[in-house]
Amino acid sequence: MTDAVSTATRPAASDMVRRLPEYLMIWVPLLLSAAHLISFSIWTIWISFTPSTLVPVTGWVGLRNYTSVLASRNWQIAFDNLLLFGSAFVLLSLITGLLLAILLDQRIRGENVLRSIFLYPLAVSFVVTGTVWSWLLNPGIGIEKLAHDLGWASFHFDWLVNRDMAIWTIVIAAIWQSSGFAMALFLAGLRSVDADIIKAAQIDGAGPIRTYWRVILPTLWPITITVVVIQLQFAISAFDLVRALTNGGPGIATQLPALVVYDLMFQRSQLGRGAAAAVLMLLILLAVLLPYAAWRYVQRRQATHA
Amino acid sequence: MPITTTRRRLLAGSAAALALPAFARAQGAVKPRLTAISQWSAGSDGAAITALGRKFEEKGGTWQHSPVPGFTTEMMNKLRAQIIAGDPPACSQLKGPEIAAWSKIAPTVDLDAVVAAAGYEKVVAPDLAKLHKPGGKWIALPLQIYSTNMLFLSKRAMDKAKADKVPVTWADFNDLAEKMKAGGITYPIANGGTRPDDGQKFEASLAGISPAAYRAAIMNLDKKALEGPEIKAAFAQTRKISNWMDPNVGAQPYATNLKRFVDGDMGMMIMGGWAQGVLRNAGFKFDDYMIAPGPSDNGKPVFLLNADAFIFWQRKEADLQAGQALMAQLVMDPAIQTMYSQITGSIPVRTDVDLSGEGWSDGQRRTAAALKDAIASNQAVLSLAHNMAQENGLTAAMIDVITEYVKNKTIKPEEAVTRLAEAVEGSR
Repeated sequence: MTDAVSTATRPAASDMVRRLPEYLMIWVPLLLSAAHLISFSIWTIWISFTPSTLVPVTGWVGLRNYTSVLASRNWQIAFDNLLLFGSAFVLLSLITGLLLAILLDQRIRGENVLRSIFLYPLAVSFVVTGTVWSWLLNPGIGIEKLAHDLGWASFHFDWLVNRDMAIWTIVIAAIWQSSGFAMALFLAGLRSVDADIIKAAQIDGAGPIRTYWRVILPTLWPITITVVVIQLQFAISAFDLVRALTNGGPGIATQLPALVVYDLMFQRSQLGRGAAAAVLMLLILLAVLLPYAAWRYVQRRQATHA
Repeated sequence: MPITTTRRRLLAGSAAALALPAFARAQGAVKPRLTAISQWSAGSDGAAITALGRKFEEKGGTWQHSPVPGFTTEMMNKLRAQIIAGDPPACSQLKGPEIAAWSKIAPTVDLDAVVAAAGYEKVVAPDLAKLHKPGGKWIALPLQIYSTNMLFLSKRAMDKAKADKVPVTWADFNDLAEKMKAGGITYPIANGGTRPDDGQKFEASLAGISPAAYRAAIMNLDKKALEGPEIKAAFAQTRKISNWMDPNVGAQPYATNLKRFVDGDMGMMIMGGWAQGVLRNAGFKFDDYMIAPGPSDNGKPVFLLNADAFIFWQRKEADLQAGQALMAQLVMDPAIQTMYSQITGSIPVRTDVDLSGEGWSDGQRRTAAALKDAIASNQAVLSLAHNMAQENGLTAAMIDVITEYVKNKTIKPEEAVTRLAEAVEGSR
C-alpha cells in the first residue's frame, strides 16, 4: 500500500520540480499583470464616482461624472467617430489583408520579400506612422502638392484639413499600418487548408475564384473573427496614431475616446471625469470581448462534445 | 522722503524676520539649496533658466533643476506625482489660475514678507499680482511676461500691399489684409493650426473690440456678457481672420510658416512676443518685420497677459527654505529679470525696468510700453488661450468651441456665442 502511494507521487513530484521554471514563467507574469490590470481598473472605477480633479480625493458624486462626460460634445463626437472609424478600419483592413494574402498565396517568386514588406509597417510605432502620414496627407506639402508640381493642377486631396473627411485619413494610416497583420494571419490560414480539398474542387471543375469563394474562404472564418476582435480592440484604444496625425483636429472633428480620456485627466485636470470616460471605454471594449469569449466557450464545448 | 522709505524698508525687513524665522535662521546657518522643476530644457527657455541657476550658485546656493521637457502637462504630471508622494520640489513652474488650484492640494510658502521687503507689489500689474496671491497671500512669483496679441507685420508683404501704416483698429487691420490680398498675397495671415493658435485669434479679437467685455465674459464669466454683442462681433472678426489663413496648415505650429511670413508670402501674424525669439533663432533679422500691439478699436493698446511664474512649496529642510528665500529675492530682482527677458524675448514683470538700454529689441520696448499704457487705461487683461484667465478645465472647454469655429466655417457667429456660453455652463 505504502509502496503504491510512493510510486504514484514520486514521479508527480519530480515532474513538478522539472516543470517549475515553466510554471514560474507563465504564472508569475500572468498573476502580476492580472493584479495590475484588475487593481487599476477597480481604482479607476472608484475614482470615476468621486469628485476628484487635480488629485484623487474620496467622496461620492454618483453618476455625475458619467452624465457630464456623456453630455459633452467632445465625447459625442468621439463616440460617433469611433463607430465610423472602428467599422471602416476593421472592414477595410480585413479586405486588404485577405486580398494581399490571396495574392501572395499564388506561389509567386519573392514571396518572402513581399511578405516582409507588407508586414513591415507593423514594426513602426504608431507615432511615426501618424507623423509621416500627416506630412504625406498635408495638402500644402504632401501628395496634393506633388501632383500639382507634376502638372496636375486640378488634383484635390485635402482630407487631412477637411473636417468631414479627416477621420478617413486615420482610417487610411491605420490600414497601412495593420493590414499586414491581417495578411499574415490569413496567409497562415490559407496555407493550412487541406490540399486534397482544393484538388477535389479542381477535379470537380471549379475555377480559381469559385475555389476560393466556396471552398477555401469558408475555412477561414475562425481566423476572421480573431482578426476582427484584435483590430477592434486596437480601434477602441487608438490614441498615439490620432494624436500624431490630427491631434483630434481640425477643431475637434477627429476626437476619439482615448484622446478624450487623456485630455480630461491630464490637460483639464478632471480626474473624475477622465476616469468616467475611461470606464465607458472599458464598457465598449467589453461589448466586443464578452461575445467573443462566449463564442470561444461555445466552440470549445462543441469540440469536446464532438 | 528718504527717511520714510528707510523706515518702511526697516519695518518690512523686520516683519520679514518675524514672519520667517526659519528663513532668517536658515540663511545664516546653511548653504541654500533649491530643488526646482520646469518644462524649460532647451532653446532660449533652457538657456534662460540655466543662467538663472548660475546666478543662484554665484550667491552661494546649490541649484538642482530637473527639467521635464515636452508639454506643460507632462511637467504637471511630475509635479502631481511628487506632491502625492509627499516630496514636492522647493519651487516649480506653474502659472495663472492653476496656482490657486494647485495651492489647495499641498501647503505653499507664504512669501508676503519677502515680497513686502522688496517693495515688489507696486511694480506688478494688479491683475497679475492677484493670480499669485490666491487667498490674499503671495505664494508664487511671476518671472516674465509675454503679450499674446502682438501684431507682427512682414516688411516684404507691406511692400507688396504698398502699405506703410501699422494698423491700429480692427477696421485698419481688415483693410490692410484686403490690400495684401489685392497685392497678390494669397494668405495675408500667417497662422498655426494648434488650439492655442486658434484661441489667440479669438481673444485678440474680443479684447481689441472691448477689453471691458473681455474682462466680464472671459475672466469673470459673467453670463450676460458671455451672450453679449461684443462676443458675437469677436467671433465675426475671428471668422474674417480665419478666412485669410492658410487652411492647409493642419495641426502644425505657427512656426512652420515663419519663412513664408518673412518672405512676404504671408503678411501678418497675431502671436505672442515669444515669436520674436523664435524668429531670431531661425536666423531672421529684426528689419524683416515690425512688431506692434494688437488691434484695439479704442486706439489704446490692449495687452493680453501671459506670465510664467514659480510657485514655492513648503519644505521642512533648512537648506531648502534658505534656497527658497534666495530664489524669491533673485526672481524679483530687476537685474535678474533683465537677464532672463533678454534671453527669452519676453519683457520683465517689473514695470519699473528701463528697456532703453542695449540688449533690448524694439519689439520688447514696444511691448513694455504697451503694458504700461494698458495698465494705465485698465486694458491689461489675462490671456485665455494661454491658461491665464481660467483654470485648465474651463479653458479647454472654451477653446474647444473656438477651435471648432475656426475650422468649421458653417458655424455662424451667433451659434458660436451660444456654444461658448453652454461650454462655460457645462464645465462649471
